[in-house]
Amino acid sequence: MASRRAANLLPRGRECVSSLWVQKPPNILRQTASFLHHCHNHCGSTTRALHTGTPWTAAKLLSVDELFAKRSLQEHLKKVETEYSECLRAASGGGGGGGVTEQHCEDELRAKRTRVSLLAPLIQSIRELDTKERETAETETLLRDEDAALRELAELEHEGCLQDIQDLRQKILELLLPEEEADLSDLVLEVTAGVGGQEAMLFTDEVFDMYQRYAQHHGWSFDVLEHMTSEIGGLRHASASVSGPQSYKRMKFEAGVHRVQRVPRTEKQGRMHTSTMTVAVLPQPTEISFTINSKDLRIETKRASGAGGQHVNTTDSAVRIVHLPTGVVAECQQERSQIKNKEKAMKALRAKLYGMKLEEETSRRYNQRKVQIGTKGRSEKIRTYNFSQDRVTDHRIGVTVHDIRSFLLGEELLDQMNSSLQEVSNQETLEELLGETQQDGS
Amino acid sequence: MWRISLSAAYRSFGCRIIGPKGLWGSHVVRTCSTPAIPADRITALQAVGLWKNHFAERGVMEPEHSSLYIAAYLLGAKTIESLEQGKLSEFLSPEKTEQMWKLCSRRLSRMPVQYVIEEWDFRDLTLKMRPPVFIPRPETEELVELVLTDLKMKPGTGVGADAQHTCLEVGCGSGAISLSLLKSLPQLKVTAVDQSQDAVDLTGENALRLGLQDRLQVHHLDVVKDAETVLSLCRHVSTLVSNPPYLFSEDMPTLEPEIFRFEDHAALDGGKDGLKVIKQILTLAPQILSNHGRVYLEVDPRHPPLIRRWVEANVEEMRYVETRHDITGRPRFCILRKETSNKDHKLDLD
Repeated sequence: MASRRAANLLPRGRECVSSLWVQKPPNILRQTASFLHHCHNHCGSTTRALHTGTPWTAAKLLSVDELFAKRSLQEHLKKVETEYSECLRAASGGGGGGGVTEQHCEDELRAKRTRVSLLAPLIQSIRELDTKERETAETETLLRDEDAALRELAELEHEGCLQDIQDLRQKILELLLPEEEADLSDLVLEVTAGVGGQEAMLFTDEVFDMYQRYAQHHGWSFDVLEHMTSEIGGLRHASASVSGPQSYKRMKFEAGVHRVQRVPRTEKQGRMHTSTMTVAVLPQPTEISFTINSKDLRIETKRASGAGGQHVNTTDSAVRIVHLPTGVVAECQQERSQIKNKEKAMKALRAKLYGMKLEEETSRRYNQRKVQIGTKGRSEKIRTYNFSQDRVTDHRIGVTVHDIRSFLLGEELLDQMNSSLQEVSNQETLEELLGETQQDGS
Repeated sequence: MWRISLSAAYRSFGCRIIGPKGLWGSHVVRTCSTPAIPADRITALQAVGLWKNHFAERGVMEPEHSSLYIAAYLLGAKTIESLEQGKLSEFLSPEKTEQMWKLCSRRLSRMPVQYVIEEWDFRDLTLKMRPPVFIPRPETEELVELVLTDLKMKPGTGVGADAQHTCLEVGCGSGAISLSLLKSLPQLKVTAVDQSQDAVDLTGENALRLGLQDRLQVHHLDVVKDAETVLSLCRHVSTLVSNPPYLFSEDMPTLEPEIFRFEDHAALDGGKDGLKVIKQILTLAPQILSNHGRVYLEVDPRHPPLIRRWVEANVEEMRYVETRHDITGRPRFCILRKETSNKDHKLDLD
């Protein structure tokens, strides 16, 4: 079953590069795959990492060896080593100064020490790699030795060295990827029906269910915050608080416009429709990292009019919260307890406001880049679910998966799609990093 | 499962209808006003729609919420929103249809939804509800929040730093306040009193269902009539909390039938100025509380200034701390603190 699904994931169609995958020796394929598996802790931010304009052709996906063959990577590693030694010298040299500049020196020294401890694991791996590479070179001369027994021994050792080199390179790539603050957080998932009326709402419901099962599949909690249904069982809008290890990382690539092509249940003449729905994945801020002034909030409940308290008995416990400065609204009627509804609405509101803040920050940081991010990324069509062809195509990486029903189960197929996205994202982040280094150097 | 609890409920309804209190009086469900059960199978959604319209026609408050909550309850969920998608469009079994009709007929008699389905949520607890015991209102969830915030902030005040917090609740009703506090504070011990035997029984039942009975004592006492007994039971309490009857007697006739006909008037009617029980609580408070112990009251929005003036004039040892507002911005909660004078202070240390 799993292998069949894995086979389904192989790219198809114009944008795909199956030829490239085939050309590569199998060990490289495995290598790339394991690179992404190890990188879950170090990947880039949601949207920045993916091109949305042109599909990311898998031809660009480089193996670990190819990455290390790049001059830019080698230069970057050298630069990091230089920085490390400088910081180390400054930190151990210490002392000096005095008077007015003492405090300043102290701060600088602390910064340098922090940098040293941050870079230490990377530097260690780079040095280990150097040693291994020298060892390999040494064994290579032995490979041509006249003694057959010695040759055999050398071959064994050589193989071992090559494996170690692979592992170390892998590790270095992982350590190079910057950690994003949001990656460690939980998230709020929002789905909203787009173009296509009732059909779009029916599809929105299916997608929301898919993510609920995806959360189950990973053992994350999935707590519905908002849930607004349509008359015929569709979903206009819903949000849920998702929490668990790796949840934001595994969900963040889902943000964007999802398109469905099929003959809707509601269609009488058998015509194919195209509808859309939007997914937003918002990191859930902690109380400390993001605060909201309660004076900026207007809380609306059924009990707002009249005397309230013992005078009234209502079962309408819905709560709506408006953030006055931005006009952002969150509401919840999921619970019978009003205070629980208020808590949930606050959770949704916090995530919305935090998402806006993050977007503002990232677009300021990255607006010079060709890579699409933030709002722009979210308004782009990222994926198509074509029922008549029984395929799901992700337009960012040009990958097509067959068996829509299995995909919508939110299990292996969705997981594999996410892994592919992660892989491309990691490489893009790395390329950005190296690109910057080159510019700095020139 | 629901059938068992429902039939049990029936027995209790049965004895209530013919009970000496005559609670139901002329409000017994008139079968002629109930729509006939459809001959064909119907979906939950159809049943909800049908009853919603019928409730609306008959002037029942919140017709849509009522039929949705009853349907959700029958389908095993708390709210329609939390119900699995698609369940609403499935056909109801004949038994479920019959149950839907029975429960909705009760609602038609203006019985509150909480009594119809015999349960409701208060904060994170699901409590059993039974007429005529007062149905907790959302404002009281905030009262609990206030107490919890304060108790979590300063553990172990009063007699020694390691002393356990103890709490007295006056007028516990279904047990909502006491049980919420006990649930959130594993060290807390609570004594709860109510003038109604029904309330005392229901609080006990809810405590048992939630496994909180070990740290709770419930007594059938009236703070006004049995003041001496209350004082003998409760000394050096760190927190006194109450959602006392605070309605002005003149407002009683304006209440919706759901409240007026079904809920215990003794839990609502606070006398001419709504302060009858409040004054009694504040008079007893200095003898019940340990030094710096606090009183938390839910009151009518007109009350806070009245209470402040009255306490300043009449209860020497109580200091009015502050008025807090509810979610809609009404002055709803009063916080007071015991401040002993020097001569009483000695007494308090023993």
